[in-house]
Amino acid sequence: MENEIHTLLANIWFFIIGLMLFLYVILDGFDLGVGILCLLSKNNKHRAMMMTSLESIWDANETWLVLLGGALFGAFPLVFAIALQTLYIPIMVMLFALIFRGVAFEFRHHNRYTSFWNWGFGISSLVASLAQGIAFGSLIGGLGITEDNLQGNVWGWFTPFSLLVALGVVTGYTLLGATYLMIKTEGAVQRIIIDHSYAAAILEIAILSAVVIWASRISPHFAARWTDKITGSYLDLFLVLAIVAFIMLMRALRKGFELRAFFWSVIISMAAFTAVTIGYYPFMVPASIALTDAASSSKTLIFMLSGIGFLIPVMLIYSGYQYLVFRGKVQMNGRAE
Amino acid sequence: MEILQDPLFLSRLQFAVTAIFHILWPLTTVGVSLLLVVFESLWLKTDDVDYYRHARFWGKLFLLNFSVGVISGLPMEFEFGTNWSRFAMMAGEFFGNILGFEGAMAFMLEAGFLGIMLFGWQRVPPAIHLLASCMVALGASLSAFWILVANSWMQTPAGVHLENNRIVVDSYFEAIFNKDTPWGVLHMWFACLATSLFVVGGLSAWYMSRNRHTDFFLKSFKIALVGVVFVVPVQISLGHGSGLEVFANQPAKGAAIEAHWTTNPEGQGARWNLLAWPNKAEQKNDWAISVPNGLSLLATGDHSGQVHGLASFAKADQPPVMPLIFYSFRVMVAIGVAFLALTLWTSVAWFKGQLMPMSIGKNRWLLRAWIASIPLGYVATECGWIVREVGRQPWVIYGILRTKDAASALPVSVVSVSLAAFIIIYSIIFILFLRFAARIIKKGPDLTLLPPA
Repeated sequence: MENEIHTLLANIWFFIIGLMLFLYVILDGFDLGVGILCLLSKNNKHRAMMMTSLESIWDANETWLVLLGGALFGAFPLVFAIALQTLYIPIMVMLFALIFRGVAFEFRHHNRYTSFWNWGFGISSLVASLAQGIAFGSLIGGLGITEDNLQGNVWGWFTPFSLLVALGVVTGYTLLGATYLMIKTEGAVQRIIIDHSYAAAILEIAILSAVVIWASRISPHFAARWTDKITGSYLDLFLVLAIVAFIMLMRALRKGFELRAFFWSVIISMAAFTAVTIGYYPFMVPASIALTDAASSSKTLIFMLSGIGFLIPVMLIYSGYQYLVFRGKVQMNGRAE
Repeated sequence: MEILQDPLFLSRLQFAVTAIFHILWPLTTVGVSLLLVVFESLWLKTDDVDYYRHARFWGKLFLLNFSVGVISGLPMEFEFGTNWSRFAMMAGEFFGNILGFEGAMAFMLEAGFLGIMLFGWQRVPPAIHLLASCMVALGASLSAFWILVANSWMQTPAGVHLENNRIVVDSYFEAIFNKDTPWGVLHMWFACLATSLFVVGGLSAWYMSRNRHTDFFLKSFKIALVGVVFVVPVQISLGHGSGLEVFANQPAKGAAIEAHWTTNPEGQGARWNLLAWPNKAEQKNDWAISVPNGLSLLATGDHSGQVHGLASFAKADQPPVMPLIFYSFRVMVAIGVAFLALTLWTSVAWFKGQLMPMSIGKNRWLLRAWIASIPLGYVATECGWIVREVGRQPWVIYGILRTKDAASALPVSVVSVSLAAFIIIYSIIFILFLRFAARIIKKGPDLTLLPPA
């Protein structure tokens, strides 16, 4: 009985952490994606407009990462410790990129060299996205650790598979960013953004397919999930969902449906994210750390659930309110104050 | 240097660099966010548009400060995993949980309303805006609460036991409200208030000393003065209380703070060293200027109370770099005393009617003293944290886990590169921050600004 309760709690926390990661991927994903799109823009005015569209929300978006870190640390300390140590280099690179990106938001207002900060913002957004993609790719690739040896070396993340996943993450973020900007902009900027959205969507679908095929080759566990009757049909379902979302997205882009375009790009990310999760469940780090082994004691999981679990809806409500307050197209009358 | 080839030392140095840098920003985030609520409430209550302009002016500095605070806080959480994975594995069950609480209860609240508070003046009604400001202030103070809970538990761990080398929580109440928690939380929270009040009061004094907007800045100066009259005496007594708590629960740290080597025999008071040079190798002070019975009085309240000396602890259990601990403590205390003196001086001047728009400019030295006090709160806080953290060594969780057993197994090369990158990036950010803050300050407030219709 006690074991069953612990398994249930560990699963609930696995779900909550998955949800937090997903929210982070969507919210900071479009945020970072806007940064990447800054690099593609040839116009300083457009770049400033893109950055302004994030000014009131980037901090809240990034806070999901802080929350995710804390929740993982508390609920699955073993995963937190092993993953971060093994991923030392990509994590540090991500942190430095996020540091630069964060100060760029504010410092560009105080400095003559606006274009330095705008470019820096773009580059650091790209670097942070790549680092996150590599970290995620090597996590689902098993971190280069085995059941007997939990000590991965610090270069274990450097594999072709994780680089491919990183590209997938970058294009995914770019698509989210582009469809977000469709909502926030109009006219000439919006037309350019729509072109970028097409390109990002097609690239993302291509890379995601490659990731799925590659993953079932290198991971027997993932391949077995695919051939299993029940999990296999779920995986098929999300694959179909991704394809439907892609078609609907193309239609929304063609017809200029702003909200729908963003919605369908979120669905593509959601389908991919869920498929990966199903593919690797019940492992936290595939083939070496199962989620029940890594979880904290039942008492802690319950205590955290009462402290954090019930706050998630509250957080979503006031974060949503902030988005509502700043809805509509970006206004460029000096600094939005 | 051989020590730079030691990954453990490099990880410690990196944590020290990132923590010393990070703590600068929340100090004023916590304090100034509360002052912004005060300004905004005064505006709504009195209809005096100057208070609205105060909120907007200090809000600019607040935003600049806040963004550096956010980005320098992020690495702290991740370092527990990257550099201190054995600590994370052992203590995650409690420590990680508390960081999770901090994220969910404090940071999200702060971030969820920050945009409205800073950019939403024209978009929401005044009452909602005030609510947003209150939520940001509440979030900032809550984050101070939770992070100090986590740190206090490392000082005086309670409510847990070890199982297979992992911390398991028996009582969350005991773990959260461990012996150090009330002192740690309150002493830090008041440090935030005091630092912020002297920053705002000091900058106001700077404007008044140059005859810029004297009427306007006299208002913020007086608010800061009212604040310090209350905050400084409380902070000093909290400091004394924290000291007693350290002597009771972390005697080795207490003895290191005072460079007290030999336990005083019964019936004979321990001397208090005003100044000394502790020498760990020889287990004695090279020299000392001391007051008879002083330490017994300070630490126990009795002139012959017994105080454990450092020599009664195994050398391996004594804190390192004792002169650093000893002098950091003295700098912190000296700043506290200086703050008290300045508070009294200014209160007397107010009482004598010298704080009037026409006459305050004549009080040159008073204004200069306030200007000089701007960095002091930061210095005192950094010194306090050095005493607290270095004094806890060689333990990371006092009595449970030694620092040397807490680090990740990492190659020297990667840690030295990340350490160097932190030092370079943080130095650049620090210099740019000072330049940009100076620019905002030189430009001054916009006294033509009108509240949203």
